[in-house]
Amino acid sequence: MTETAAPEALAAARAAADRMGKTKRLNALLTPAKDLRKSLLAQAKEVHPSGVLYGMPVAVKDNICTLEFPTTCASKILDGWQSPHEATAVAKLKAAGALIAGKANLDEFAMGSSTEHSAFGRVIHPLEKSRVPGGSSGGSAALVAAGAVPAALGSETGGSVRQPASFCGVVGIKPTYGRVSRYGLVAFGSSLDQIGVLGRSVHDAARVLSVISGRDGKDNTCEDRDPLRLPNVPENLQGFVIGLPKEYFPPDMDAGVRRACDRAIRALKELGAAVRDVSLPHTAYAIPAYYVIAPAEASSNLARFDGVRFGPRLGEGTDLRALYRETRGEGFGPEVRRRILVGTYVLSSGYYDAYYRKAQQVRALLAQDFRNVFDRGVDLIFTPTTPTTAFKAGERMADPVAMYLADIFTCTANLTGLPAMSVPIGRVKGLPVGGQFIGQSWLEDEMLEAAYALERAIPGAEDV
Amino acid sequence: MSVSADDVRKIARLAELEVAEEQLPELVSQMSRIVDYIAQLAQVPASETPKPFVTGPDAIRFRPDEVRPWPMAFGAKDLAPAFKNGFFLVPKLDAFGDGAPAQ
Repeated sequence: MTETAAPEALAAARAAADRMGKTKRLNALLTPAKDLRKSLLAQAKEVHPSGVLYGMPVAVKDNICTLEFPTTCASKILDGWQSPHEATAVAKLKAAGALIAGKANLDEFAMGSSTEHSAFGRVIHPLEKSRVPGGSSGGSAALVAAGAVPAALGSETGGSVRQPASFCGVVGIKPTYGRVSRYGLVAFGSSLDQIGVLGRSVHDAARVLSVISGRDGKDNTCEDRDPLRLPNVPENLQGFVIGLPKEYFPPDMDAGVRRACDRAIRALKELGAAVRDVSLPHTAYAIPAYYVIAPAEASSNLARFDGVRFGPRLGEGTDLRALYRETRGEGFGPEVRRRILVGTYVLSSGYYDAYYRKAQQVRALLAQDFRNVFDRGVDLIFTPTTPTTAFKAGERMADPVAMYLADIFTCTANLTGLPAMSVPIGRVKGLPVGGQFIGQSWLEDEMLEAAYALERAIPGAEDV
Repeated sequence: MSVSADDVRKIARLAELEVAEEQLPELVSQMSRIVDYIAQLAQVPASETPKPFVTGPDAIRFRPDEVRPWPMAFGAKDLAPAFKNGFFLVPKLDAFGDGAPAQ
Protein backbone atom coordinates (compact mmCIF):
# COMPACT_ATOMS: atom_id res chain seq x y z
CA MET A 1 0.00 0.00 0.00
CA THR A 2 1.21 3.50 -0.76
CA GLU A 3 0.21 6.42 1.46
CA THR A 4 -0.18 8.80 -1.48
CA ALA A 5 -2.16 6.36 -3.53
CA ALA A 6 -4.94 5.58 -1.13
CA PRO A 7 -7.08 8.77 -1.04
CA GLU A 8 -7.63 9.04 -4.82
CA ALA A 9 -8.01 5.33 -5.36
CA LEU A 10 -10.34 5.03 -2.38
CA ALA A 11 -12.48 7.86 -3.72
CA ALA A 12 -12.59 6.14 -7.12
CA ALA A 13 -13.52 2.84 -5.47
CA ARG A 14 -16.34 4.39 -3.42
CA ALA A 15 -17.70 6.26 -6.45
CA ALA A 16 -17.62 3.10 -8.56
CA ALA A 17 -19.45 1.11 -5.87
CA ASP A 18 -22.10 3.86 -5.65
CA ARG A 19 -22.59 3.96 -9.41
CA MET A 20 -22.80 0.18 -9.60
CA GLY A 21 -25.48 0.23 -6.91
CA LYS A 22 -27.63 2.47 -9.09
CA THR A 23 -27.63 -0.02 -11.95
CA LYS A 24 -29.18 -2.85 -9.93
CA ARG A 25 -32.39 -2.78 -12.02
CA LEU A 26 -30.38 -3.87 -15.09
CA ASN A 27 -29.30 -7.22 -13.52
CA ALA A 28 -25.98 -6.59 -15.29
CA LEU A 29 -23.73 -7.31 -12.31
CA LEU A 30 -23.50 -10.74 -10.68
CA THR A 31 -21.40 -9.59 -7.71
CA PRO A 32 -23.46 -8.67 -4.61
CA ALA A 33 -23.18 -4.94 -3.86
CA LYS A 34 -21.74 -5.49 -0.38
CA ASP A 35 -18.99 -7.82 -1.68
CA LEU A 36 -18.17 -5.41 -4.48
CA ARG A 37 -17.76 -2.42 -2.20
CA LYS A 38 -15.59 -4.37 0.22
CA SER A 39 -13.36 -5.67 -2.57
CA LEU A 40 -13.05 -2.31 -4.32
CA LEU A 41 -11.94 -0.65 -1.10
CA ALA A 42 -9.42 -3.43 -0.42
CA GLN A 43 -8.05 -3.17 -3.98
CA ALA A 44 -7.80 0.62 -3.69
CA LYS A 45 -5.51 0.21 -0.68
CA GLU A 46 -3.12 -1.95 -2.68
CA VAL A 47 -3.08 -0.20 -6.05
CA HIS A 48 0.01 1.73 -7.12
CA PRO A 49 -0.39 5.29 -8.47
CA SER A 50 2.12 4.88 -11.27
CA GLY A 51 -0.17 2.62 -13.31
CA VAL A 52 -1.61 4.01 -16.54
CA LEU A 53 -5.11 2.93 -15.46
CA TYR A 54 -4.67 4.10 -11.86
CA GLY A 55 -8.03 4.05 -10.07
CA MET A 56 -10.03 3.14 -13.20
CA PRO A 57 -12.85 0.70 -12.36
CA VAL A 58 -13.18 -2.05 -14.96
CA ALA A 59 -15.98 -4.64 -14.80
CA VAL A 60 -15.09 -8.14 -15.96
CA LYS A 61 -17.34 -10.58 -17.82
CA ASP A 62 -18.00 -13.57 -15.58
CA ASN A 63 -16.32 -16.09 -17.87
CA ILE A 64 -12.93 -14.48 -17.15
CA CYS A 65 -11.24 -15.81 -14.01
CA THR A 66 -10.63 -13.51 -11.05
CA LEU A 67 -9.32 -14.12 -7.55
CA GLU A 68 -11.46 -11.35 -6.04
CA PHE A 69 -14.83 -12.80 -7.09
CA PRO A 70 -16.33 -16.18 -8.06
CA THR A 71 -16.40 -17.10 -11.77
CA THR A 72 -19.71 -18.69 -12.71
CA CYS A 73 -20.03 -18.26 -16.50
CA ALA A 74 -23.68 -17.47 -15.57
CA SER A 75 -24.20 -21.22 -15.26
CA LYS A 76 -25.68 -23.41 -12.55
CA ILE A 77 -22.84 -25.87 -13.20
CA LEU A 78 -20.31 -23.33 -11.85
CA ASP A 79 -22.54 -21.62 -9.30
CA GLY A 80 -20.27 -20.08 -6.66
CA TRP A 81 -17.09 -21.49 -8.19
CA GLN A 82 -13.93 -19.73 -7.07
CA SER A 83 -11.08 -19.92 -9.57
CA PRO A 84 -7.65 -20.78 -8.13
CA HIS A 85 -5.96 -18.52 -10.69
CA GLU A 86 -6.66 -15.23 -12.44
CA ALA A 87 -6.71 -14.44 -16.13
CA THR A 88 -3.60 -12.79 -17.55
CA ALA A 89 -5.78 -9.91 -18.81
CA VAL A 90 -7.05 -9.32 -15.27
CA ALA A 91 -3.52 -9.52 -13.80
CA LYS A 92 -2.35 -6.93 -16.36
CA LEU A 93 -5.26 -4.62 -15.51
CA LYS A 94 -4.41 -4.79 -11.82
CA ALA A 95 -0.72 -4.20 -12.50
CA ALA A 96 -1.73 -1.06 -14.43
CA GLY A 97 -3.65 0.25 -11.42
CA ALA A 98 -7.19 -0.61 -12.48
CA LEU A 99 -9.80 -1.72 -9.95
CA ILE A 100 -11.68 -4.92 -10.79
CA ALA A 101 -15.27 -3.72 -10.45
CA GLY A 102 -17.16 -6.99 -10.15
CA LYS A 103 -18.33 -9.68 -12.54
CA ALA A 104 -20.74 -8.90 -15.34
CA ASN A 105 -23.70 -11.07 -16.33
CA LEU A 106 -23.58 -12.91 -19.67
CA ASP A 107 -25.28 -15.57 -21.72
CA GLU A 108 -24.37 -18.90 -20.09
CA PHE A 109 -20.81 -19.82 -21.15
CA ALA A 110 -20.98 -16.87 -23.60
CA MET A 111 -23.48 -18.73 -25.80
CA GLY A 112 -26.11 -16.29 -26.95
CA SER A 113 -26.81 -12.93 -28.52
CA SER A 114 -29.20 -11.35 -26.03
CA THR A 115 -28.01 -12.17 -22.48
CA GLU A 116 -31.34 -13.89 -21.96
CA HIS A 117 -29.58 -17.26 -21.59
CA SER A 118 -28.15 -16.56 -18.11
CA ALA A 119 -28.90 -18.84 -15.18
CA PHE A 120 -29.15 -15.66 -13.11
CA GLY A 121 -31.80 -13.88 -15.18
CA ARG A 122 -31.74 -11.68 -18.26
CA VAL A 123 -29.97 -8.33 -18.48
CA ILE A 124 -32.19 -5.30 -19.14
CA HIS A 125 -31.29 -2.85 -21.93
CA PRO A 126 -30.23 0.39 -20.20
CA LEU A 127 -32.29 2.61 -22.51
CA GLU A 128 -35.43 0.53 -23.06
CA LYS A 129 -36.37 -2.09 -20.49
CA SER A 130 -38.43 -4.25 -22.87
CA ARG A 131 -35.36 -4.82 -25.06
CA VAL A 132 -32.23 -6.93 -24.79
CA PRO A 133 -28.72 -5.43 -24.49
CA GLY A 134 -27.30 -7.95 -26.97
CA GLY A 135 -24.90 -10.69 -25.98
CA SER A 136 -23.15 -12.52 -24.87
CA SER A 137 -21.27 -9.67 -23.12
CA GLY A 138 -24.60 -7.94 -22.40
CA GLY A 139 -23.81 -7.25 -18.74
CA SER A 140 -20.50 -5.58 -19.61
CA ALA A 141 -22.17 -3.45 -22.32
CA ALA A 142 -25.08 -2.43 -20.08
CA LEU A 143 -22.74 -1.37 -17.23
CA VAL A 144 -20.67 0.81 -19.57
CA ALA A 145 -23.76 2.29 -21.26
CA ALA A 146 -25.34 3.07 -17.89
CA GLY A 147 -22.21 4.97 -16.85
CA ALA A 148 -21.30 2.61 -14.00
CA VAL A 149 -17.81 1.97 -15.38
CA PRO A 150 -15.81 3.62 -18.18
CA ALA A 151 -14.77 0.24 -19.55
CA ALA A 152 -15.39 -3.48 -19.12
CA LEU A 153 -13.85 -6.70 -20.34
CA GLY A 154 -15.96 -8.92 -22.56
CA SER A 155 -15.18 -11.92 -24.69
CA GLU A 156 -15.86 -12.70 -28.32
CA THR A 157 -16.46 -15.97 -30.10
CA GLY A 158 -18.84 -14.71 -32.80
CA GLY A 159 -19.42 -11.02 -32.06
CA SER A 160 -20.18 -11.06 -28.34
CA VAL A 161 -18.44 -7.73 -27.68
CA ARG A 162 -19.33 -5.80 -30.84
CA GLN A 163 -22.99 -6.84 -31.03
CA PRO A 164 -23.91 -5.73 -27.46
CA ALA A 165 -21.75 -2.62 -27.92
CA SER A 166 -23.86 -1.77 -30.97
CA PHE A 167 -27.17 -2.46 -29.18
CA CYS A 168 -26.19 -0.37 -26.13
CA GLY A 169 -24.45 2.54 -27.90
CA VAL A 170 -20.91 2.02 -26.65
CA VAL A 171 -17.57 1.12 -28.26
CA GLY A 172 -16.59 -2.55 -28.51
CA ILE A 173 -13.25 -3.92 -29.75
CA LYS A 174 -12.31 -7.46 -30.72
CA PRO A 175 -8.55 -7.59 -31.28
CA THR A 176 -6.68 -9.82 -33.72
CA TYR A 177 -6.73 -13.47 -32.58
CA GLY A 178 -3.56 -13.83 -30.50
CA ARG A 179 -3.29 -10.16 -29.49
CA VAL A 180 -4.61 -10.83 -25.96
CA SER A 181 -3.85 -13.90 -23.87
CA ARG A 182 -6.75 -16.33 -23.44
CA TYR A 183 -5.26 -17.67 -20.20
CA GLY A 184 -8.06 -17.57 -17.63
CA LEU A 185 -10.83 -17.08 -20.20
CA VAL A 186 -13.13 -20.09 -19.82
CA ALA A 187 -12.89 -21.80 -23.21
CA PHE A 188 -15.90 -21.94 -25.53
CA GLY A 189 -14.52 -22.12 -29.09
CA SER A 190 -10.75 -22.02 -28.68
CA SER A 191 -9.93 -21.14 -32.30
CA LEU A 192 -12.40 -18.22 -32.16
CA ASP A 193 -12.29 -16.90 -28.58
CA GLN A 194 -10.65 -13.57 -27.78
CA ILE A 195 -10.99 -11.25 -24.82
CA GLY A 196 -12.26 -7.85 -25.97
CA VAL A 197 -13.05 -4.48 -24.44
CA LEU A 198 -16.18 -2.34 -24.16
CA GLY A 199 -15.73 1.36 -23.46
CA ARG A 200 -17.74 4.55 -23.29
CA SER A 201 -15.37 6.05 -25.89
CA VAL A 202 -12.80 4.80 -28.39
CA HIS A 203 -10.04 6.06 -26.13
CA ASP A 204 -11.31 4.31 -22.99
CA ALA A 205 -11.65 1.00 -24.81
CA ALA A 206 -8.34 1.38 -26.64
CA ARG A 207 -6.26 2.16 -23.57
CA VAL A 208 -7.64 -0.87 -21.74
CA LEU A 209 -6.92 -3.00 -24.81
CA SER A 210 -3.39 -1.66 -24.91
CA VAL A 211 -2.83 -2.71 -21.27
CA ILE A 212 -4.19 -6.26 -21.63
CA SER A 213 -2.47 -6.97 -24.96
CA GLY A 214 0.93 -8.53 -25.53
CA ARG A 215 2.83 -11.77 -25.04
CA ASP A 216 2.03 -14.31 -22.33
CA GLY A 217 3.97 -17.47 -21.60
CA LYS A 218 0.79 -19.12 -20.32
CA ASP A 219 -0.97 -19.08 -23.70
CA ASN A 220 0.89 -20.37 -26.75
CA THR A 221 -1.75 -19.01 -29.11
CA CYS A 222 -0.91 -15.52 -27.83
CA GLU A 223 1.45 -13.88 -30.31
CA ASP A 224 4.96 -13.02 -29.11
CA ARG A 225 4.51 -9.25 -29.54
CA ASP A 226 4.80 -6.11 -27.49
CA PRO A 227 1.58 -4.54 -26.19
CA LEU A 228 -0.44 -2.54 -28.70
CA ARG A 229 0.74 1.06 -29.05
CA LEU A 230 -2.09 3.54 -29.25
CA PRO A 231 -2.17 5.81 -32.31
CA ASN A 232 -2.63 9.57 -32.12
CA VAL A 233 -6.06 10.97 -32.89
CA PRO A 234 -5.79 11.85 -36.60
CA GLU A 235 -6.74 15.22 -38.08
CA ASN A 236 -8.33 13.48 -41.03
CA LEU A 237 -8.40 10.17 -42.85
CA GLN A 238 -6.58 11.18 -46.02
CA GLY A 239 -4.76 8.23 -47.51
CA PHE A 240 -7.18 5.67 -46.03
CA VAL A 241 -9.03 3.39 -48.42
CA ILE A 242 -12.21 2.01 -46.88
CA GLY A 243 -14.12 -0.86 -48.50
CA LEU A 244 -17.90 -1.30 -48.32
CA PRO A 245 -18.76 -4.97 -48.92
CA LYS A 246 -22.05 -5.22 -50.81
CA GLU A 247 -22.98 -8.43 -48.96
CA TYR A 248 -23.26 -6.42 -45.71
CA PHE A 249 -25.63 -3.86 -47.24
CA PRO A 250 -28.46 -6.06 -48.61
CA PRO A 251 -31.42 -4.48 -50.44
CA ASP A 252 -33.82 -5.43 -47.62
CA MET A 253 -31.62 -3.85 -44.96
CA ASP A 254 -33.36 -2.13 -42.03
CA ALA A 255 -34.06 1.45 -43.16
CA GLY A 256 -32.89 3.07 -39.92
CA VAL A 257 -29.60 1.15 -39.85
CA ARG A 258 -29.11 2.07 -43.53
CA ARG A 259 -29.63 5.80 -42.75
CA ALA A 260 -27.08 5.67 -39.90
CA CYS A 261 -24.54 3.87 -42.10
CA ASP A 262 -25.06 6.33 -44.97
CA ARG A 263 -24.38 9.23 -42.63
CA ALA A 264 -21.24 7.53 -41.29
CA ILE A 265 -19.99 6.81 -44.83
CA ARG A 266 -20.55 10.47 -45.79
CA ALA A 267 -18.52 11.48 -42.72
CA LEU A 268 -15.68 9.11 -43.66
CA LYS A 269 -15.57 10.68 -47.13
CA GLU A 270 -15.61 14.20 -45.69
CA LEU A 271 -12.67 13.18 -43.49
CA GLY A 272 -10.73 12.43 -46.68
CA ALA A 273 -10.99 8.64 -46.88
CA ALA A 274 -11.44 7.03 -50.28
CA VAL A 275 -14.50 4.80 -50.12
CA ARG A 276 -14.75 1.85 -52.48
CA ASP A 277 -17.37 -0.88 -53.11
CA VAL A 278 -15.94 -4.36 -52.56
CA SER A 279 -17.23 -7.93 -52.43
CA LEU A 280 -16.75 -10.72 -49.88
CA PRO A 281 -18.55 -13.41 -51.89
CA HIS A 282 -18.69 -16.22 -49.31
CA THR A 283 -20.30 -14.11 -46.56
CA ALA A 284 -23.64 -15.97 -46.84
CA TYR A 285 -21.96 -19.14 -45.58
CA ALA A 286 -20.37 -17.53 -42.53
CA ILE A 287 -23.21 -18.13 -40.05
CA PRO A 288 -23.76 -21.78 -41.05
CA ALA A 289 -19.99 -22.39 -40.83
CA TYR A 290 -19.80 -20.60 -37.49
CA TYR A 291 -22.66 -22.65 -36.06
CA VAL A 292 -20.80 -25.83 -36.96
CA ILE A 293 -17.31 -24.85 -35.77
CA ALA A 294 -18.26 -23.06 -32.54
CA PRO A 295 -20.57 -25.83 -31.20
CA ALA A 296 -18.05 -28.49 -32.27
CA GLU A 297 -15.32 -26.81 -30.23
CA ALA A 298 -17.76 -26.12 -27.38
CA SER A 299 -18.83 -29.76 -27.15
CA SER A 300 -15.20 -30.66 -26.57
CA ASN A 301 -14.29 -27.76 -24.26
CA LEU A 302 -17.34 -28.21 -22.04
CA ALA A 303 -16.65 -31.92 -21.53
CA ARG A 304 -14.56 -30.92 -18.50
CA PHE A 305 -17.66 -29.87 -16.54
CA ASP A 306 -18.72 -33.17 -15.06
CA GLY A 307 -19.00 -32.72 -11.29
CA VAL A 308 -15.71 -34.47 -10.54
CA ARG A 309 -12.92 -31.90 -10.38
CA PHE A 310 -14.74 -28.61 -9.79
CA GLY A 311 -18.18 -27.07 -9.55
CA PRO A 312 -21.13 -28.54 -7.70
CA ARG A 313 -22.10 -32.20 -8.11
CA LEU A 314 -25.76 -32.44 -9.12
CA GLY A 315 -28.19 -35.36 -9.12
CA GLU A 316 -27.99 -38.71 -7.33
CA GLY A 317 -24.97 -40.06 -9.24
CA THR A 318 -24.99 -43.68 -8.07
CA ASP A 319 -22.74 -44.66 -11.00
CA LEU A 320 -19.89 -42.61 -12.48
CA ARG A 321 -21.55 -42.08 -15.84
CA ALA A 322 -24.85 -41.28 -14.18
CA LEU A 323 -22.95 -38.65 -12.18
CA TYR A 324 -21.63 -37.10 -15.40
CA ARG A 325 -25.00 -37.13 -17.10
CA GLU A 326 -27.03 -35.86 -14.19
CA THR A 327 -24.57 -33.10 -13.29
CA ARG A 328 -24.33 -31.94 -16.91
CA GLY A 329 -28.03 -32.44 -17.65
CA GLU A 330 -29.09 -30.41 -14.64
CA GLY A 331 -26.20 -27.94 -14.62
CA PHE A 332 -26.28 -26.69 -18.21
CA GLY A 333 -29.10 -24.45 -19.45
CA PRO A 334 -31.11 -25.04 -22.66
CA GLU A 335 -28.89 -23.12 -25.13
CA VAL A 336 -25.66 -24.70 -23.86
CA ARG A 337 -27.26 -28.17 -24.03
CA ARG A 338 -28.43 -27.47 -27.57
CA ARG A 339 -24.96 -26.41 -28.67
CA ILE A 340 -23.27 -29.39 -27.02
CA LEU A 341 -25.71 -31.66 -28.84
CA VAL A 342 -25.21 -29.91 -32.21
CA GLY A 343 -21.43 -29.97 -31.74
CA THR A 344 -21.47 -33.67 -30.90
CA TYR A 345 -23.73 -34.32 -33.89
CA VAL A 346 -21.51 -32.56 -36.47
CA LEU A 347 -18.41 -34.33 -35.14
CA SER A 348 -20.00 -37.77 -35.04
CA SER A 349 -19.25 -40.53 -37.49
CA GLY A 350 -21.03 -40.05 -40.81
CA TYR A 351 -21.57 -36.30 -40.44
CA TYR A 352 -18.02 -35.00 -39.97
CA ASP A 353 -17.28 -34.53 -43.69
CA ALA A 354 -20.66 -33.02 -44.52
CA TYR A 355 -20.55 -30.42 -41.78
CA TYR A 356 -17.26 -29.93 -39.95
CA ARG A 357 -14.87 -30.40 -42.86
CA LYS A 358 -17.10 -28.27 -45.07
CA ALA A 359 -17.25 -25.52 -42.45
CA GLN A 360 -13.46 -25.47 -42.25
CA GLN A 361 -13.36 -25.11 -46.03
CA VAL A 362 -15.74 -22.14 -45.81
CA ARG A 363 -13.57 -20.62 -43.11
CA ALA A 364 -10.59 -20.72 -45.47
CA LEU A 365 -12.70 -19.22 -48.28
CA LEU A 366 -13.79 -16.36 -46.02
CA ALA A 367 -10.17 -15.67 -45.06
CA GLN A 368 -9.27 -15.65 -48.76
CA ASP A 369 -12.13 -13.20 -49.49
CA PHE A 370 -10.67 -10.73 -46.99
CA ARG A 371 -7.11 -11.26 -48.27
CA ASN A 372 -8.27 -10.50 -51.81
CA VAL A 373 -9.84 -7.21 -50.71
CA PHE A 374 -6.89 -6.11 -48.58
CA ASP A 375 -4.41 -7.11 -51.32
CA ARG A 376 -6.18 -4.68 -53.66
CA GLY A 377 -5.25 -1.69 -51.54
CA VAL A 378 -8.18 -1.52 -49.12
CA ASP A 379 -7.03 -0.62 -45.58
CA LEU A 380 -10.25 -1.16 -43.67
CA ILE A 381 -13.74 -2.48 -44.21
CA PHE A 382 -16.83 -0.63 -42.94
CA THR A 383 -20.19 -2.32 -42.33
CA PRO A 384 -23.16 -2.11 -39.98
CA THR A 385 -22.38 -4.08 -36.80
CA THR A 386 -25.84 -5.63 -36.62
CA PRO A 387 -28.76 -5.92 -39.07
CA THR A 388 -31.20 -4.28 -36.61
CA THR A 389 -31.27 -2.27 -33.41
CA ALA A 390 -31.85 -4.06 -30.07
CA PHE A 391 -34.75 -6.49 -30.37
CA LYS A 392 -37.43 -7.18 -27.78
CA ALA A 393 -36.83 -9.65 -24.97
CA GLY A 394 -38.34 -13.04 -25.73
CA GLU A 395 -38.69 -12.26 -29.44
CA ARG A 396 -36.10 -14.79 -30.64
CA MET A 397 -35.98 -17.31 -27.80
CA ALA A 398 -38.17 -19.89 -29.52
CA ASP A 399 -36.17 -19.96 -32.76
CA PRO A 400 -32.42 -20.53 -32.24
CA VAL A 401 -31.59 -19.74 -35.88
CA ALA A 402 -33.32 -16.34 -35.67
CA MET A 403 -31.13 -15.61 -32.63
CA TYR A 404 -27.98 -16.78 -34.47
CA LEU A 405 -28.66 -14.31 -37.31
CA ALA A 406 -27.99 -11.41 -34.92
CA ASP A 407 -24.28 -12.28 -35.43
CA ILE A 408 -24.43 -12.27 -39.23
CA PHE A 409 -22.13 -9.24 -39.68
CA THR A 410 -19.78 -9.98 -36.80
CA CYS A 411 -18.86 -13.67 -36.93
CA THR A 412 -16.68 -13.34 -40.06
CA ALA A 413 -14.00 -11.47 -38.07
CA ASN A 414 -13.89 -14.32 -35.54
CA LEU A 415 -13.72 -17.01 -38.21
CA THR A 416 -10.84 -15.18 -39.91
CA GLY A 417 -9.08 -13.93 -36.77
CA LEU A 418 -9.21 -10.30 -37.96
CA PRO A 419 -9.49 -7.30 -35.61
CA ALA A 420 -12.84 -5.52 -35.64
CA MET A 421 -14.71 -2.93 -33.62
CA SER A 422 -18.09 -1.29 -33.26
CA VAL A 423 -18.55 2.47 -32.88
CA PRO A 424 -21.86 4.24 -32.14
CA ILE A 425 -23.04 5.97 -35.35
CA GLY A 426 -26.47 7.25 -34.35
CA ARG A 427 -29.83 6.15 -33.02
CA VAL A 428 -33.09 5.03 -34.57
CA LYS A 429 -36.19 5.80 -32.48
CA GLY A 430 -33.86 6.21 -29.51
CA LEU A 431 -32.09 2.88 -29.98
CA PRO A 432 -28.35 2.85 -30.79
CA VAL A 433 -26.84 1.72 -34.10
CA GLY A 434 -23.22 0.58 -34.39
CA GLY A 435 -20.87 0.88 -37.34
CA GLN A 436 -18.21 -1.79 -37.68
CA PHE A 437 -14.62 -1.48 -38.87
CA ILE A 438 -12.80 -4.69 -39.79
CA GLY A 439 -9.04 -4.29 -40.08
CA GLN A 440 -6.05 -6.32 -41.19
CA SER A 441 -4.35 -8.66 -38.75
CA TRP A 442 -2.17 -6.81 -36.21
CA LEU A 443 -3.15 -3.40 -37.63
CA GLU A 444 -5.54 -2.40 -34.84
CA ASP A 445 -3.84 1.01 -34.84
CA GLU A 446 -5.29 1.84 -38.29
CA MET A 447 -8.73 0.69 -37.19
CA LEU A 448 -8.49 2.82 -34.05
CA GLU A 449 -7.42 5.89 -36.05
CA ALA A 450 -10.51 5.61 -38.24
CA ALA A 451 -12.71 5.05 -35.18
CA TYR A 452 -11.25 8.08 -33.37
CA ALA A 453 -11.95 10.24 -36.42
CA LEU A 454 -15.48 8.93 -36.97
CA GLU A 455 -16.35 9.28 -33.29
CA ARG A 456 -15.42 12.96 -33.44
CA ALA A 457 -17.14 13.59 -36.76
CA ILE A 458 -20.65 12.34 -35.98
CA PRO A 459 -22.87 12.58 -32.92
CA GLY A 460 -23.24 8.88 -32.05
CA ALA A 461 -26.09 9.43 -29.61
CA GLU A 462 -28.38 11.46 -31.94
CA ASP A 463 -31.32 10.07 -33.89
CA VAL A 464 -30.78 9.87 -37.65
CA MET B 1 -37.67 -33.68 -39.33
CA SER B 2 -34.03 -34.17 -40.32
CA VAL B 3 -33.15 -35.25 -36.76
CA SER B 4 -35.15 -37.98 -35.00
CA ALA B 5 -35.78 -38.61 -31.31
CA ASP B 6 -33.45 -41.60 -31.51
CA ASP B 7 -30.73 -39.38 -33.01
CA VAL B 8 -31.06 -36.99 -30.06
CA ARG B 9 -30.96 -39.87 -27.56
CA LYS B 10 -27.81 -41.24 -29.20
CA ILE B 11 -26.05 -37.84 -29.34
CA ALA B 12 -27.01 -37.10 -25.74
CA ARG B 13 -25.44 -40.41 -24.71
CA LEU B 14 -22.26 -39.55 -26.61
CA ALA B 15 -22.18 -36.12 -24.97
CA GLU B 16 -22.82 -37.59 -21.47
CA LEU B 17 -25.86 -35.35 -21.14
CA GLU B 18 -29.09 -36.45 -19.51
CA VAL B 19 -32.11 -35.44 -21.57
CA ALA B 20 -35.57 -36.00 -20.12
CA GLU B 21 -38.10 -37.71 -22.43
CA GLU B 22 -40.48 -34.77 -22.14
CA GLN B 23 -37.77 -32.44 -23.52
CA LEU B 24 -37.23 -34.59 -26.60
CA PRO B 25 -39.98 -33.18 -28.91
CA GLU B 26 -38.73 -29.60 -28.51
CA LEU B 27 -35.08 -30.66 -28.91
CA VAL B 28 -35.90 -32.70 -32.02
CA SER B 29 -37.67 -29.70 -33.55
CA GLN B 30 -34.93 -27.18 -32.67
CA MET B 31 -32.05 -29.46 -33.71
CA SER B 32 -33.78 -30.21 -37.00
CA ARG B 33 -34.14 -26.46 -37.62
CA ILE B 34 -30.41 -25.93 -36.90
CA VAL B 35 -29.25 -28.92 -38.95
CA ASP B 36 -31.43 -27.87 -41.90
CA TYR B 37 -29.91 -24.39 -41.67
CA ILE B 38 -26.27 -25.49 -41.57
CA ALA B 39 -26.95 -27.94 -44.42
CA GLN B 40 -26.64 -25.00 -46.85
CA LEU B 41 -22.87 -25.51 -46.51
CA ALA B 42 -23.35 -28.30 -49.07
CA GLN B 43 -23.94 -25.59 -51.70
CA VAL B 44 -20.26 -24.55 -51.52
CA PRO B 45 -18.59 -26.28 -54.49
CA ALA B 46 -16.04 -28.88 -53.46
CA SER B 47 -13.75 -27.46 -56.16
CA GLU B 48 -13.27 -24.30 -54.09
CA THR B 49 -10.46 -25.52 -51.87
CA PRO B 50 -8.13 -22.76 -50.74
CA LYS B 51 -5.16 -23.43 -48.54
CA PRO B 52 -6.15 -24.49 -45.02
CA PHE B 53 -6.68 -21.64 -42.60
CA VAL B 54 -5.71 -21.56 -38.93
CA THR B 55 -6.10 -18.53 -36.68
CA GLY B 56 -3.29 -17.44 -34.42
CA PRO B 57 0.46 -17.14 -34.71
CA ASP B 58 1.97 -18.54 -37.92
CA ALA B 59 4.34 -20.72 -35.97
CA ILE B 60 2.95 -22.17 -32.74
CA ARG B 61 5.61 -22.05 -30.08
CA PHE B 62 6.10 -25.18 -28.05
CA ARG B 63 7.11 -25.24 -24.41
CA PRO B 64 9.72 -27.68 -23.13
CA ASP B 65 7.98 -30.92 -22.15
CA GLU B 66 8.65 -30.72 -18.44
CA VAL B 67 6.69 -30.53 -15.23
CA ARG B 68 6.59 -27.01 -13.83
CA PRO B 69 4.94 -25.61 -10.74
CA TRP B 70 1.66 -23.95 -11.63
CA PRO B 71 0.75 -20.95 -9.51
CA MET B 72 -2.67 -21.52 -7.97
CA ALA B 73 -4.18 -19.72 -5.03
CA PHE B 74 -5.37 -23.07 -3.64
CA GLY B 75 -5.28 -26.71 -4.66
CA ALA B 76 -7.58 -29.47 -5.85
CA LYS B 77 -8.63 -30.27 -2.30
CA ASP B 78 -10.49 -26.97 -2.09
CA LEU B 79 -11.82 -27.14 -5.65
CA ALA B 80 -13.30 -30.61 -5.95
CA PRO B 81 -16.74 -31.66 -4.67
CA ALA B 82 -15.12 -34.78 -3.12
CA PHE B 83 -11.36 -35.22 -2.55
CA LYS B 84 -9.36 -37.43 -0.18
CA ASN B 85 -5.68 -38.37 0.22
CA GLY B 86 -4.73 -36.83 -3.13
CA PHE B 87 -7.57 -38.46 -5.11
CA PHE B 88 -10.85 -37.23 -6.56
CA LEU B 89 -13.66 -39.37 -5.15
CA VAL B 90 -16.27 -40.60 -7.62
CA PRO B 91 -18.99 -43.30 -7.62
CA LYS B 92 -17.96 -46.67 -9.06
CA LEU B 93 -18.10 -47.14 -12.84
CA ASP B 94 -20.93 -49.55 -13.63
CA ALA B 95 -20.40 -50.52 -17.27
CA PHE B 96 -23.60 -52.57 -17.26
CA GLY B 97 -25.75 -49.90 -15.69
CA ASP B 98 -27.24 -46.77 -17.21
CA GLY B 99 -26.76 -47.35 -20.96
CA ALA B 100 -23.77 -49.38 -22.00
CA PRO B 101 -20.53 -47.57 -22.89
CA ALA B 102 -21.01 -44.87 -25.52
CA GLN B 103 -20.41 -45.95 -29.09
